[in-house]
Amino acid sequence: MGILDIFKGKMVDPTMYPGVHAGGDVVTTTLDAVVKWGRKSSLWPMPFGTACCAIEFMAVSLSHYDMARFGAEVLRFSPRQADLMFVAGTVPDKLAPVLKMIYDQMPEPKWVISMGVCASTGGFYRSYHVMQGIDEIVPVDVYVPGCPPAPEGLIAAIMKIQEKIKNGEQAKRPQGENRLGAPGDGAIDRRARRHAWALDDAERAKQGLKPRGVLELRVLPNQDETPSHG
Amino acid sequence: MASAVAETTNPPAGSTSPTTRVLKETLGDAVTKVDEFRGDLAVTVARDSWVKAVQTLRDHPELDYKLFLDICGVDYLDKDDHEDRYEVVFHAYSVSKKHHVRLKTSCPENDPKLPTVTHLYKGANWFEREAWDLYGITFDGHPRLERLLTHDSFVGHPMRKDYPTAQRHVLKTPRERLLNVPEGSEHMLMNIGPAHPAMHGTFRVQALMDGETIVDAEAELGYMHRNFEKMCEVRTYWQIIPYTDRLNYCSAFMNGHGWAMAVEKLLDVKCPPRADAIRVILSEFSRIMDHIVCIGANLVDLGGITPMFVMFRAREVIYDLLEACCGARLTVSYVRIGGLADDVPQDFEARVKAALEACRTAIADGEKLVTRNPIFVGRFKDVGVMSKENALSWGWVGPALRGSGIAYDVRKDHPYSGYDQYDFDVPVGDVGDNYDRYLVRMEEMRQSVRIIEQALAKLPKGPVITDDRKVALPPKSEVYSNIESLMNHFKLVYDGILPPKGEVYGYNEGGNGEQGFYIVSDGRKFPWRVKLRPPCFAIYQAFPEMIKGGLLADAVATIGGLNVIAGELDR
Repeated sequence: MGILDIFKGKMVDPTMYPGVHAGGDVVTTTLDAVVKWGRKSSLWPMPFGTACCAIEFMAVSLSHYDMARFGAEVLRFSPRQADLMFVAGTVPDKLAPVLKMIYDQMPEPKWVISMGVCASTGGFYRSYHVMQGIDEIVPVDVYVPGCPPAPEGLIAAIMKIQEKIKNGEQAKRPQGENRLGAPGDGAIDRRARRHAWALDDAERAKQGLKPRGVLELRVLPNQDETPSHG
Repeated sequence: MASAVAETTNPPAGSTSPTTRVLKETLGDAVTKVDEFRGDLAVTVARDSWVKAVQTLRDHPELDYKLFLDICGVDYLDKDDHEDRYEVVFHAYSVSKKHHVRLKTSCPENDPKLPTVTHLYKGANWFEREAWDLYGITFDGHPRLERLLTHDSFVGHPMRKDYPTAQRHVLKTPRERLLNVPEGSEHMLMNIGPAHPAMHGTFRVQALMDGETIVDAEAELGYMHRNFEKMCEVRTYWQIIPYTDRLNYCSAFMNGHGWAMAVEKLLDVKCPPRADAIRVILSEFSRIMDHIVCIGANLVDLGGITPMFVMFRAREVIYDLLEACCGARLTVSYVRIGGLADDVPQDFEARVKAALEACRTAIADGEKLVTRNPIFVGRFKDVGVMSKENALSWGWVGPALRGSGIAYDVRKDHPYSGYDQYDFDVPVGDVGDNYDRYLVRMEEMRQSVRIIEQALAKLPKGPVITDDRKVALPPKSEVYSNIESLMNHFKLVYDGILPPKGEVYGYNEGGNGEQGFYIVSDGRKFPWRVKLRPPCFAIYQAFPEMIKGGLLADAVATIGGLNVIAGELDR
């Protein structure tokens, strides 16, 4: 079966491929369109599942909801073989560098689905150890609301990603990169991010300020000075 | 197995109980206070006698508190009725005598130090480390007092009352090494996780490898630390229910059940019998769901995906049932303090029967695929063995403890929600290996089906939430028709439930065993302190010890069989 036979079927969108001739036997199109079509029909997802959403992600990938219908069933646990990352679950600050590292390891082009409110905004965990949305450090293409989202919501997100691929869209910068207030938090490359942090820390040290993100408490741990409160 | 029901849930507490008597005899004046509240016995001892008191509890033949449960800190900042700022609370259970105990001591703010009890209970290690991490209470003699739940760049101790709830710190690089490789060693350091499929996304283990054999191992956690306990301190008792769903998210309903029971114990309100029966039915379905994910994921880790496909079908049917009851599939938020949010739908019985049928099929199919499969048996038998004594000392509970041969099941030993009316067995293993834990889980699913059948057969009629207007909202028909109910509704929503001052330890049998909620109330609408006693935490703590000397591939088989759930482990 040659590639043209595939175009004969229902997959062909006549508006997208205007050059269908001789009843579909001959198609004139651009290489770009064929590549995009291939990409969107065979997504290889990398599940970065951490919490409750991962259980719901499991439900989507298993027999009942069957993600394979959208060509996205080849789950790759190695980021180097994946082009779509599902971030399913809360990402605490401790996990953030790991997430960033895995995102960096994925080859371009890559897309990210932020599944559930925790990954999108921190959800109802507005607390000391939870990142308030993964878009502080990685670009997000589709946010899926819900806690956890219904499987239909996740399937809709996969279709949105396919649409984005068709239109050649891809999120390039982390949308919430300035949320924490430190420059470089959202730099695409982790080396650039660390570099920006180091510069910022040095700049602040020159002004006699402490690095950002350091808190002064009434009682500091493990210090000899006699603490007091009130 | 005998299905006799334990008659008392707790021995007579207070000054008459053997615990108080023995402690007073041994420690004399060091016992500063004995409290009894809602049947919970709490003994306060002086700081100098802490280790001696814990040792007495463990070793005295009349007390025999062999099962370690919990050590946690409490911060009584600016509380007039507490002289010292910090309090350290120890919980333990005696399997032979069937009683719980709470032992407390206090540390002043300028010297938050306490001797360690890690030499008495193996499980105390991480619990003390956590208390240091979150409260800054130093345990003298602790082998490794480092950050446990929070990350290395964290400044301060976040559970202290003067720490702002949402103050974050950025971690720039993760910890590279958990283990020290000796100079000139030819062993290889192998890092597994946290983003590794066998580690389920959030656990991390480093192993020192000699070929295929693990010489040394160390685990790290906290990758899912999302501050359940801190959030509880700024939420009302109702608002905490959705948070509890996200603890052990494989069996969300049971966590809410446990939380509601703990608060009901604090408030001393009773749940109507119909609500109790529905809670039992849904809890048992949750247990089946939990075990399906545990067994299925365990086998996926070992390379067999078919059982997962087959058994997950039952989960989908149970999801449908839950969705019909409350509108959510996974995180249900169905319980309320004193009952349930709403009555079940009219076709509840038919749905339950359909779900039961699906469960029976799934269990039978899973059994056929797995139990006698030679590859599976070869991977599981005599791997990850845990002895009875060690299991108790690590603080194991639930299917893991029963797999090691100790028949402690909260449903049987301290029946709640009417479990004493149902006839069911508690399966136990005899070797304590992965295969035993697997068999215990399979049998528990069958017993759950039995319980559900009985509960459905005699599902009582009546209301599903208590009519105590200080706890439950009045029905909407009354709110819209008379002013008292409207005011009542307003006051309850605005002020929340106002419990009496006091502290309770409420517990139920979750998917992984006894999950306890230790609640300290100061009479306001927010709890002063909530501590979840997570079963996984103690179970995962033993994991590095279990895999030492074994093969790397066996470690993967073991961790899946322990059913460590990140949401509950790290809270």
